[in-house]
Amino acid sequence: MLYAPDTSPIDLPTFHSVISLPYTLTPGRCAGTFLAEMPNRRIVGSRFADGSVVCPAQDFSSLDGEEPEALVQAPETGTLTGFTRVGTDVIGLIRLDGCANEFPHRILADLPAIAVGMRVAARWSDDDKGTSILAIEGFVPAPDAPQGEVKPLVGPAEPLGVIPYAMALNYEHAYGPYYGRMFDEIREGGRVMGVRGSGGDDALLPPREIDDITHKRTGTWKACADTGTIRACSIINMEVYGQTRPVPYVYAEIVLDGASTRMIHMIDIDDLESAKKSIKPGTRVRAIWTKGERKGAVSDIERFEVIDA
Amino acid sequence: MGREVGIVGVGQTNHARRRTDVSQAGLVREAVDRALADARLSMDDIDTVVIASGPVLFAAVNQPEKWVVDAIGAQGKSVVRLTSGGGAGFAGALAGYYQVAGGYSDRTLVVAYDKLSEGQLQYSISTLYDPFWGREFAVGIMGFSAAYWRARMDVLGHTEEAAAMVAAKNRNNALANPYAHQKKAVTVEDVLKSKPLCWPIKLLDVPPISDGAAAIVLANDKVAHHSTSRPAWIRGIAYCCEADNAAERSLLLSEPLAIASRQVYRAAGITNPRRQFDVVEVQEPYSCFELNYYESLGLCPPGQAAELVASGATQLDGDIPVNPSGGCMGANPIGAVGVIRLIEAATQIMGRNETHQIKDAKMALVQSGGGWANLRGCAVLSA
Repeated sequence: MLYAPDTSPIDLPTFHSVISLPYTLTPGRCAGTFLAEMPNRRIVGSRFADGSVVCPAQDFSSLDGEEPEALVQAPETGTLTGFTRVGTDVIGLIRLDGCANEFPHRILADLPAIAVGMRVAARWSDDDKGTSILAIEGFVPAPDAPQGEVKPLVGPAEPLGVIPYAMALNYEHAYGPYYGRMFDEIREGGRVMGVRGSGGDDALLPPREIDDITHKRTGTWKACADTGTIRACSIINMEVYGQTRPVPYVYAEIVLDGASTRMIHMIDIDDLESAKKSIKPGTRVRAIWTKGERKGAVSDIERFEVIDA
Repeated sequence: MGREVGIVGVGQTNHARRRTDVSQAGLVREAVDRALADARLSMDDIDTVVIASGPVLFAAVNQPEKWVVDAIGAQGKSVVRLTSGGGAGFAGALAGYYQVAGGYSDRTLVVAYDKLSEGQLQYSISTLYDPFWGREFAVGIMGFSAAYWRARMDVLGHTEEAAAMVAAKNRNNALANPYAHQKKAVTVEDVLKSKPLCWPIKLLDVPPISDGAAAIVLANDKVAHHSTSRPAWIRGIAYCCEADNAAERSLLLSEPLAIASRQVYRAAGITNPRRQFDVVEVQEPYSCFELNYYESLGLCPPGQAAELVASGATQLDGDIPVNPSGGCMGANPIGAVGVIRLIEAATQIMGRNETHQIKDAKMALVQSGGGWANLRGCAVLSA
């Protein structure tokens, strides 16, 4: 057994991670109608039992949760009730004439010319004729605009059922001293190191400061072998969003020799039926490292493969 | 001790693969309207509200409770939003239970939902994994669950056939469930022959992906009679957790469920669950989970789950029917499921279950949870 002294990384880079995924969102009847009417250049609001009109149209009153009596066509003119500069844009809160609420949109004017209380009018986009609120390019100053009127909505479009949407979230995770050392060792030495639990020789992977079971400080660092035993495995045969390899392959939870906890990795297979027999809990496996420069990640191990008996 | 807490009104949506006619908030509203009508109450009668749903990534709306509050008319009330993976709805019910039992609320509305058609389910679940250590290889909860089911096969005898019996039982029970949307009669053979997705999990071991919401009204013993003469009283409820990757964690049994059931049985005076319960409702995200619940809930000793399901004891006409509603196999709006299971058990106790009323059901067991084994709860309901 070779003990290694405790060391810490000198520089502290972060681990960049992106969660990126598509959605199909349902706006509901009223907002769905509002969006569906954008290409028709009509602004749709909801009128509630007390006579108040909310725009863009909403399924429920924010005062008492009641559903609207009717959808209505709101005017294209209104009053600016607040604004702020965001980058090069000015975003304002607009209360359309005859409506009880404000909503945010672009104000298409120079900042010095903008004042709370000014009259504004919608300018429709020449480029965007889609089912988005951006079919309205923004609101322009309209000092002489007469008071607009809320009208009945004649022949409303079918509400949009689904809106495509996408989100990409960027994160910079701190490694901390334990993960930092582990990934340094993977990159520099091509070896997986954990720390001993508080009471034994087996290493906890990933390494951590406190032993989960005893709640005492963990022990010294230890290099694990790049061979191990499968604790649990399944054969992935379905395609899911975000997957990086072709199916079928084996998802395996592997305990490396010298470790007490598992790591997750993959095993390539030829076909599903033979893998059912040849790969199971207890099967011995070996890490296959990637060729070339390592980046300091679990994926520096390209895959595991079965050690032939 | 605190006050007695009963379920006095229930409501769930007619669940669907995809509801394009309502928003997330509109979906919640449907369940709330039904639960309040069932309890003969209006929102004015409700003191506090608990809103539960799955991870925000499921449907891309952060702090959805702000949207939901407007849609259900709960402006100005005490509102808590809660999330706990697959067990979110059940954890929400527990939070509501504490409020009423502790005397801080006479009536609490618990509403739980997920609109899973809107996002990427398995990918969203993969983000639960450590970003440094495993996420890049994660296949949601399905790859993980299948792996440890495979391990249980060798140690506990949870065979593919035993799980297929669970899947067939629940799918066939769901045929009569007016709220379910996956209704197709299947045989054990059909399940075994269905396409492997994450083997040993096959297509028919897997519940549908659903849009749905469910709500219950909890009331204390002072005011429950305003809503019903037959509340389903909560005799015990607990929800426990364990660490993810500790050295001694085998994942072969669910220790949190064993701990939760021990607590709850003690509170409810249950000494022989198999004999004392008339009906059981469990949350089985995949069929193999139900086998584990039989063991961790003490319906049979570890290693005898396959035998229990094969004996027919958990069928509708068995001595301990499990999931007469069809469980998750009929509909699986994940965040709502904990509340749906409570509803299905409560209506059994109230004598008005709409799918399969078990005759003279007086004592019911409910299980719910998230993850493969690490978040698990259960509750005992009785007349």
